[in-house]
Amino acid sequence: MKFSKAFRQALNMVLHSRLRSWLTILGIVIGVAAVIAIVSMSQELERDVTGQFDSLGADLLTLTAGSSRAAGFSPGRPGGFPGGATSSEEDIVLGASDVQVLKGIPDIITINTQISGSADLYYVAERGSVRITGVDEDTWSRVANIDLANGRTLGPADTNVIVIGGRIADGFFDKRLGINQAVTIEGRLFRIVGIIDDQSTSVYMPLDAAYGVLEDKEKGVYDTIILRVKDEDRIDEIINEVEKRLRLSRHVTEKEMDFTISSNQEAQKQRSEMMGSMTTFLTAIAAVALLVGAVGVMNSMFTSVLEKTKEIGIMKAIGARNGDILKIFLMNAALIGLIGGILGIILGILLSGFLPYLMGETAGMMRMFGSGGTTSAKVILLGIGMSVVLGVLSGLVPAWKASRLKPVDALRYE
Amino acid sequence: MNQHEVLLRLKNVSKVYQMGEVEVPALKEVSVDIMSGDFVAVIGASGSGKSTMMNLLGCLDLPTSGRIFLKGKDITRMPESDLATLRGGTIGFIFQQYHLIPSITAFENVALPLEFLEYGDAETTVKVKRLFSLVGLNSKMNNLPTQLSGGEQQRVSIARSLAADPEVILADEPTGALDSVTGRNILELLHKLWKEEGKTVIVVSHDLRLAKYARTIIELKDGRIKDVRRRR
Repeated sequence: MKFSKAFRQALNMVLHSRLRSWLTILGIVIGVAAVIAIVSMSQELERDVTGQFDSLGADLLTLTAGSSRAAGFSPGRPGGFPGGATSSEEDIVLGASDVQVLKGIPDIITINTQISGSADLYYVAERGSVRITGVDEDTWSRVANIDLANGRTLGPADTNVIVIGGRIADGFFDKRLGINQAVTIEGRLFRIVGIIDDQSTSVYMPLDAAYGVLEDKEKGVYDTIILRVKDEDRIDEIINEVEKRLRLSRHVTEKEMDFTISSNQEAQKQRSEMMGSMTTFLTAIAAVALLVGAVGVMNSMFTSVLEKTKEIGIMKAIGARNGDILKIFLMNAALIGLIGGILGIILGILLSGFLPYLMGETAGMMRMFGSGGTTSAKVILLGIGMSVVLGVLSGLVPAWKASRLKPVDALRYE
Repeated sequence: MNQHEVLLRLKNVSKVYQMGEVEVPALKEVSVDIMSGDFVAVIGASGSGKSTMMNLLGCLDLPTSGRIFLKGKDITRMPESDLATLRGGTIGFIFQQYHLIPSITAFENVALPLEFLEYGDAETTVKVKRLFSLVGLNSKMNNLPTQLSGGEQQRVSIARSLAADPEVILADEPTGALDSVTGRNILELLHKLWKEEGKTVIVVSHDLRLAKYARTIIELKDGRIKDVRRRR
């Protein structure tokens, strides 16, 4: 039997058992949509995170108070969460003496001290909670590789000025915020000098101003110290040197070490591993959904074979070979897979755009929504291929069973 | 194939059905020759082995013992796929319950055997149209089987049996589900096919009117051939 004729028979089978076919297709749609949405979102998040770390540079070190807690997140960067001690841990802090020690290390070319916390930002009659990062304005531009949409970074002699995240400028308040406009944070007036090209709700201000805004922060105590080193290839060596000197000055042994120093390389690796595990986990869940869909196809195909036993007998009596029957039933399964795959991809693309809203408005997710979903052609092809292969595999056993039916038994079947 | 050549030969054919632990013999040591161009009626009471014989003659089933030759070829040693091809090209089936595929039109039902033999669309259309005109059903080609009467469905079934231009038409109780007038029309149509198209027609039936049309009557009783009568 020719391919086109077998295809017509298979299509006929799909159309003439509409309810069952659609229910089976629905199973595939849900599975494929879940896979597409998860893979698309994971890819986008990974790109986002990788992008953040790439822009940070491999020659930066992050120093935080407290042991082994700081690694992994980016300070001085939108969406970053500085780890380490807060001022509530009064006994374990980073201070001026630590900065003095670091200044004595020749491999370190820039030191940027930072504090961070949350505060309310007022503009006209509106209010919103933002993340405040106080940075040493003299050196900030040398450690924070940010892309500005507008304006400038902080510089020496800046006092009551701020650089804001892109989301605060656009979409946070009813009115857009622009350069040189004034906002109030904790009763103090600030002028916007720069807008970052991102979707964050971060606000950067000179360190002294931040001490005034973040009331729980004690002057001279830092949450994070960012270090830029001369030679990124020697970063491990420099970490050891910093640790050694700080241990000496802070009078702690290696075991009692009350500070953490991590490189962005290491943080990126940890984050990538975390992202990888999360993606694997979510994909596994989606795969289960897809597997359930496949079982649905198999079930539907077995039912179809039972239902069509007599027809199989008739076809065999009038000249259908085993291969013809196999072809028709496999095409039926592939067709169910294909239709399910196409609809699943459409739903998956919609979901990958819509889910970020349901899950929360983090910068990466918002960006993904803003770009109207980022399902790549590769993922679409993968989705279609996967659903067709799954359909065929699920239909293989029922189709084989159908093809092996003895015509006399099939004709007798009631 | 010339007339009076052996088209189908059953040689010591027995068929035993296994019903759980019980063996039920349906045919016992049956030997018979069916000549090319003959009109054969296989008659007998219910349970005499008529349907079993029809399945074996139609290569739909294989015997438990004995051998069956179709045009000199031993079909009992053929793999199923070869048997299917042989069946498709040599034997046309007409069933008591018509056995049309309900989801496709009458035209598509008749075209189906040709699709299995990979005929081109144009040739298929010409052949199918000719067959519809032969069975007198030109106006109902595009109807679904459910939109046809019993007699009309049986005519479509007859047209389908002729599609691949087989040498043998094998009909299992073709009048069994029809009223007497329609049944007679169907028998007349079969007779016409035998006479005008030169087909070998084998009809399995308990319809006594069949005797009027058949040239050879094989009577079965309890799985054995009771009598073979040939008319000149």
